[in-house]
Amino acid sequence: MTFDYHEPTSLREAIELGARFGVDGRFLAGGTDLMVQIHRGRLNPRHVVSLQCVPGLDAIEVDGAISLGARVTHRRIETTTDFQGALRALVEGAEVVGGHQVRNVATVGGNIVNASPAADVVVVLLALEARLTSLGPAGERTIALDGFGTAPGVTVLRPNELLTRASFPRLAPRTATAFLKAGRRRAMEISIACVAARLTLDAALERCQDVRIALGAVAPTAMRARSAERYLEGRPLTDEVTREAGRIAATECRPIGDVRASARYRALLVATLVPRVLARCLERIRFHTS
Amino acid sequence: MTQVTRIVGRSVPRMDAPGKVTGTALYAADFALPGMLYGRVLRSHEPHARLVRLDTSRAARLPGVRAVITAPDVPDVRYGGSVKDERVLARDRIRFAGQPLAAVAATSPDAAAAALAAIEVVCEPLVPVLDVAAALAPGAPLVHEAWASYTALPILHRDRNVCNRARIVVGDVERGFVEADRIFENRFTTSSVHQGYTEPRAAVAQWDSSGLVTVWSNTQLPFEIQTTLAEILQLPPSKVRIIVPGIGGGFGGKLRIGMEHFAALLAMRTGRPVKVMTTSEEELTAAYPRQPAIVEVKTGVTNDGRLTAREARLWFDTGAFAGSGPGVASVATLMLAGPYRIPNLLLEGFAVYTNKTNFGSFRAPSGPQANFAVESQMDIIADALGLDPLELRLKNIVREGEEGPTGQVLTAVGLEECLRRAADAIGWRDRRPRAGRGKGIACGWWTTTGGSSGVYVKINPDGTVALNTGAAEIGTAALTGAAQVLAEDLGVQLADINVVSADTLSTPYDFGAQGSRTAFAVGNACRAAVADLKRQILALASKHLGVEEHALALREGSVVGEGKRTTLGELARISQASGGGLIAHGTFVAPPTPYDAKRVEGHVYPAFHSPSFHAHAADLSVDAETGEITIHRYVVAQDVGFAVNPAAIEGQIEGGVAQGLGQALSEEIVYENGRVLNANLTDYKMPTTLDVPRVESILVQHPTLVGPFGAKGVGEPPNIEPPAAIANAVASATGVRITTLPITAEKVALALRARAT
Ligand SMILES: Cc1cc2nc3c(=O)[nH]c(=O)nc-3n(C[C@H](O)[C@H](O)[C@H](O)COP(=O)(O)OP(=O)(O)OC[C@H]3O[C@@H](n4cnc5c(N)ncnc54)[C@H](O)[C@@H]3O)c2cc1C
Repeated sequence: MTFDYHEPTSLREAIELGARFGVDGRFLAGGTDLMVQIHRGRLNPRHVVSLQCVPGLDAIEVDGAISLGARVTHRRIETTTDFQGALRALVEGAEVVGGHQVRNVATVGGNIVNASPAADVVVVLLALEARLTSLGPAGERTIALDGFGTAPGVTVLRPNELLTRASFPRLAPRTATAFLKAGRRRAMEISIACVAARLTLDAALERCQDVRIALGAVAPTAMRARSAERYLEGRPLTDEVTREAGRIAATECRPIGDVRASARYRALLVATLVPRVLARCLERIRFHTS
Repeated sequence: MTQVTRIVGRSVPRMDAPGKVTGTALYAADFALPGMLYGRVLRSHEPHARLVRLDTSRAARLPGVRAVITAPDVPDVRYGGSVKDERVLARDRIRFAGQPLAAVAATSPDAAAAALAAIEVVCEPLVPVLDVAAALAPGAPLVHEAWASYTALPILHRDRNVCNRARIVVGDVERGFVEADRIFENRFTTSSVHQGYTEPRAAVAQWDSSGLVTVWSNTQLPFEIQTTLAEILQLPPSKVRIIVPGIGGGFGGKLRIGMEHFAALLAMRTGRPVKVMTTSEEELTAAYPRQPAIVEVKTGVTNDGRLTAREARLWFDTGAFAGSGPGVASVATLMLAGPYRIPNLLLEGFAVYTNKTNFGSFRAPSGPQANFAVESQMDIIADALGLDPLELRLKNIVREGEEGPTGQVLTAVGLEECLRRAADAIGWRDRRPRAGRGKGIACGWWTTTGGSSGVYVKINPDGTVALNTGAAEIGTAALTGAAQVLAEDLGVQLADINVVSADTLSTPYDFGAQGSRTAFAVGNACRAAVADLKRQILALASKHLGVEEHALALREGSVVGEGKRTTLGELARISQASGGGLIAHGTFVAPPTPYDAKRVEGHVYPAFHSPSFHAHAADLSVDAETGEITIHRYVVAQDVGFAVNPAAIEGQIEGGVAQGLGQALSEEIVYENGRVLNANLTDYKMPTTLDVPRVESILVQHPTLVGPFGAKGVGEPPNIEPPAAIANAVASATGVRITTLPITAEKVALALRARAT
């Protein structure tokens, strides 16, 4: 395990280094994925380019569209006042990442680029229809988060591209979000399944006007439960309906069985957690609009 | 019996606490010497293979590499405590994935790792024996073809892949089953779990010009390691010195030789000090984690709930070597009887070779596995007979003066009190408050391991006291307990006592930090030393003060009588000037516990010394859909004999329960085709602080005649009952009985589903 360590102090310098090293280089944010992978011999970059001293990557913007800089830590999401209401799912996703030490350094950008199917905050961002902004030698481009990851650990980001932020539209009225995760213990746990939802109700607060459901750890990448979403649209959110949505989501996910859980249990968790996140959303909308 | 005491019986801070909480305490893993090299061990990827060739030439030429050793560089010695079946490095046969093949020493850990990667291993895979069933199948391949020729304890019953069958026979089980109205037969299985000590196994070795090798290691048993290492190195034991600078947890995982032999051999080869320390991956693939078990229990019972007979068999997977297996299989038979009066018993414990790591001792070895089976079955019986599980237990538990399974006479039996107080505390009368919530109870017994302990106790010229013991403070406050006993008897303050420990060259012998024995045995050795010291002190004080000995008394660091007074310090100074100082050698060995030898076979642990008794009760909820378990309350009532340091005992109980809940709910080393799938701390799931409820401790005190002030061993027991208590509470909450450990949410959820359809 040897590599050259670089500490650029501007975005431009970071991009230059990224372009120079190409596939031999890796950006380092919190290092909670990267260093583990290097230690376990799964990655062996010749150059590590730290983003620690690069300014402009850690802003949280909430006027108009909401935007999270790539270097925003999970801890900051947890403690951001603007996320405690309708965007509560962001807090719920961030606050269950690892333990305190991990959350103090681990970042949103790292969570996204690492492209683990179990990345908790990615699942929330997927339900929020986030778009990513990247910067490379050829300039800036935006990429939909949905489709950004193509396989475990693989994304469409080019080796010399830097992720700068994730943004998503402001929530419509009568909207709430929620996130739930299942694992063998209550902290320091990689999801064996997790579910996020963004739900908008109609004016009568009865029927589903618009919904996004995202699932983690039940497919090679975080995924949207599109059939369940379609089923829900326009329907009243009775227990029966949300349970059916859970059943549909469980059939469209593609879990594997591994040392953490069987495929069958993962599907069962999806079927259970989907109605529960929807129930939470409902409760939140009704609470905030009453 | 109430005793008026000053220091024992009080919650005092641990003597090792300030150093540990401020980060200044030295552990073996911290230990370093100038010029030290870093050793690493190359381990097999194959679970079972013929080793054809090891090419180390490229590794030896790498920068920084100072030595590469393979089997031909090591004395051809087979060692082992009960069966001599293990070698330092594999010669021609590989018996588990993780077995050491070679060792390297280099100037940095990275250079050592690079050297390991550069060694070429050629081997021919053989069909592995993956589990106990495969090992016992007719015509199964032998893990040790030459098993019959190995040196072994003569008492063992060995047969091919079985390296011991221990047996207890009492009465006639067939007759007992005829007397029964109902017969219950159940099968349980448990997984291997790691001791989870925070500090990896570590050793630093250095040779001196006289040919003495000193090893600083975090072993629990410095004197056993001295013997084993001397055997491996073919040296007299006096040429091997083991020092324990500190231990960051052991729980049985640091009983047997760990890194000491690799460090010593590499240091011999290089002429430089060498440090070897394990990685998490090595810990989870090649350490001494708890034996997985299969347990079959058949119990006969009358309709009114009287146990008439039990036939039970427990098979331990002992892995590639016997190690602790034969002994633990013996202890298991006593645990299979449970703390119950059953007139007819046929109990067998087997240690079975497979191609896996040498599973070993873990806090109350065999306890949780056997207890999970028999205490789960007690609830199955109670449910079937329509009896309250507490009442069924109370009807059958052993009482004062009754016999244990091998005929030992039981005294200081506080079990009924434990059961009743645990049940009261958990609110037993409301056992199923609502759907999905339930309470469970489990009880058991355990030994206070024997073995001998010696101490030197010396009075310093300032009146303080040096306690020199061969035991190591493993983090249980056991030596604080021993020092409390010493301070109590000698009439000094705890702060006056300094402890020197665990150096085979300079400290007296001790059987080691194992089996809940340290405070008990070292404490008693201190009492013997004080008795001797008091004679010396009073004789000297009498001369010095001119007062008859019988008129003198020791009080608060002084000797007083007839209005005269002198201090211990002054007497020590007088003695230093005239008599070589005030020093005493105190010794203790647990008196043998008489038992009926006709009842046992192949048994290396036929009776429990000064047994302790305990009951655990849990109150939990189960999520009917996800199977997730939430523990609301957890109560332990433990008969500790006499609580030398109540706060320290509560700490032992809380820690033991946390570990026990890990075994009950989340921890397991998962094997697939002989390889560990989760050899990292991401996927090996020890509980976090959020997973462990507050543990409520009730200290029950039925003093023994043997322990210091009546104390019993307290360290291991809290680890025994959690799996059974949880299994019983889950069954009470859901009606679903999980018979395999760990009781994961997945198992519960799928069982609930299976029942629903
Ligand atoms: C003990 C522990 C527990 C954990 N628990 C969880 C958990 O519960 N849930 C969960 O989702 N994750 C968990 N993780 C994983 C990890 O903490 C998260 O994925 C985290 O968000 C990664 O962020 P980081 O800043 O540490 O990324 P890094 O490790 O610094 O980077 C990860 C990857 O992203 C790349 N990268 C980082 N930033 C950028 C950027 N701006 N542009 C381009 N590439 C970039 C790096 O090159 C690397 O390939 C855990 C990790 C540990 C060690």
